[in-house]
Amino acid sequence: MTTDDGRNIDERVAVLSGEGSGQKVAAEGREDMESTPVHAVFERPPIESRGTGTYYDRPVLKEPVWKWFIPAYFFAGGAAGAAQVLAAAAQVADRDGLGGLVKRARWIAAAGLAAGTTFLIADLGRPERFMNMLRVFRPTSAMNAGSWILATSGPLAGASALLADRDGWLGRSGDLAGLAAGPAGLPLSAYTAVLLADTSIPIWHQTRRTLPPLFAASSMASAASLLEMMDLSDDEQRVVHRLGKISKTAELLAATAVDIDAARVEQVARPLEEGLSGTLWKVAKAATGASLVLSGGSRRRRKLAAALGVAGSLALRFAVHHAGKRSARDPKATFAAQRAGITRPVRDPSLV
Amino acid sequence: MATGFFTDTTVCIGCKACEVACKEWNQLPDDGLFFTGMSYDNTVDLGASTWRHVSFIERPVALNTQETGLGDFSWLLMSDVCKHCKSAACLEACPTGSIVRTEFDSVYVQSDVCNGCGMCVSACPFGVIDRREDDGRAWKCTLCYDRQKDGMTPACAQACPTQSIQFGDLDELKARATERVAELHERGMSEAYLYGADQEGTDGLNAFFLLVDEPEVYNLPPEPVSPTKTLSDAWRSLGASLLGMAAVTAAAVLAGRRR
Repeated sequence: MTTDDGRNIDERVAVLSGEGSGQKVAAEGREDMESTPVHAVFERPPIESRGTGTYYDRPVLKEPVWKWFIPAYFFAGGAAGAAQVLAAAAQVADRDGLGGLVKRARWIAAAGLAAGTTFLIADLGRPERFMNMLRVFRPTSAMNAGSWILATSGPLAGASALLADRDGWLGRSGDLAGLAAGPAGLPLSAYTAVLLADTSIPIWHQTRRTLPPLFAASSMASAASLLEMMDLSDDEQRVVHRLGKISKTAELLAATAVDIDAARVEQVARPLEEGLSGTLWKVAKAATGASLVLSGGSRRRRKLAAALGVAGSLALRFAVHHAGKRSARDPKATFAAQRAGITRPVRDPSLV
Repeated sequence: MATGFFTDTTVCIGCKACEVACKEWNQLPDDGLFFTGMSYDNTVDLGASTWRHVSFIERPVALNTQETGLGDFSWLLMSDVCKHCKSAACLEACPTGSIVRTEFDSVYVQSDVCNGCGMCVSACPFGVIDRREDDGRAWKCTLCYDRQKDGMTPACAQACPTQSIQFGDLDELKARATERVAELHERGMSEAYLYGADQEGTDGLNAFFLLVDEPEVYNLPPEPVSPTKTLSDAWRSLGASLLGMAAVTAAAVLAGRRR
């Protein structure tokens, strides 16, 4: 009998023990391009690579395999990290006066982390092996660093939320966890930008200096917006409102900085201008801008502005995600960025 | 001992014996019956179950030493493979430690550890390693780790009928390759050069090539860089952004607390 998995191996006479024999095969064929019917070659000239400066326009790089879970995690994890920072700061400044804010921010962090971790595990090719992320400590892998950041923040944020209303030593433990969650939340809010910079995808790699501030600002903007949608005291409302205004402004400025950073190579900037990623990028900026203009005024207007702020941050993460996919598919972006010397590490003159 | 491949594209005849030998030895599944309609290349690229790939480039330019009946025309053929970089982006970016360097200095994915996070797929500057969706894990050329452990030559090099794919000790291969370039230059093929033997962004490739046109023509990146080399740019920028975030948050709560 021959195996039915494209290997065409007769198991009566051969043993499946090669390096690739463990590969599970269900689907057949490629999904990224269509097979040409043989007769079509006689009807039209074959695909040519002449003069295009590419190999039949085929991508050099592999498209990121990440699904929608990953940008959703960027949003949920980012908002959680920023909420941890805000909760800790509010706790230190005025634990009683800003108590409602502390409690709600802690719950946003706990919920964001629970959802975010679920998204991350769901995106793995082998979800049951998610604990392998903590098998090593590897500073050169931003994803490994992120796993450790997540593993630190998760329990702290969870404990601080569950123990927020407790009295006595339980409450004090909750406050201690909340305090520790502050510094842990800082990298959680934006390390994902470093993770994207840790790739060869032209647009992500080229914007490695401007993506971190964008993600940091966007995370704080989404945390502030989520809090603005909740019922807070006047004092708390003022804090959140002010923070929201500053971070949304920073988000818009950082987005412009990313535009300028990407535009250093015309071909690399294209995904921010065209296609699904371009549309999402424009929507993100428009929603954040509108949220900034509408904020303040009546309660209803404030809630609308907050909802727009959340939508803007969410659209922004999806825009960056899809821009990477589009960028990977374009061989000319890869070539142009490298020929322009963008990918080259700057040599430390003191080391020469 | 560091071993590797020297692929001399000037003697490749595009027979694809390397592709077949690789599939057979490693017991990789086929990729389905697929007709691209572009040149003779129906393999298209390297992937999770394709660890050798022969590129077919039909150029409207003649090689310096050739005269063909077609005039300005030449075939460029290249058998592509994982480069087993000295600074391997996939290995450095792998969060589980699934990708390791072997005693032969090659880069090897331990499929019993890989959890299919996809980080290496986006990190590789050559688009080599890929995740098979139905399998869930990342796969690539092992430089025939199993054969090498038994002192055998990797399947592709063993099957190559023209010695376009040469396997051996890396230093010896480099010396041989340099000699070959000099020989070709002497014969008038001034376009010949080595790609990747000493590459700055990857610290050199253990599988390097002799090419006769720009890397782009072969779908190779002209100046690949392991993204880890520039990662400090991103970490520094993150540090500054987070300081800003902490300061702004502190200011907002301090200004908003009860007076």
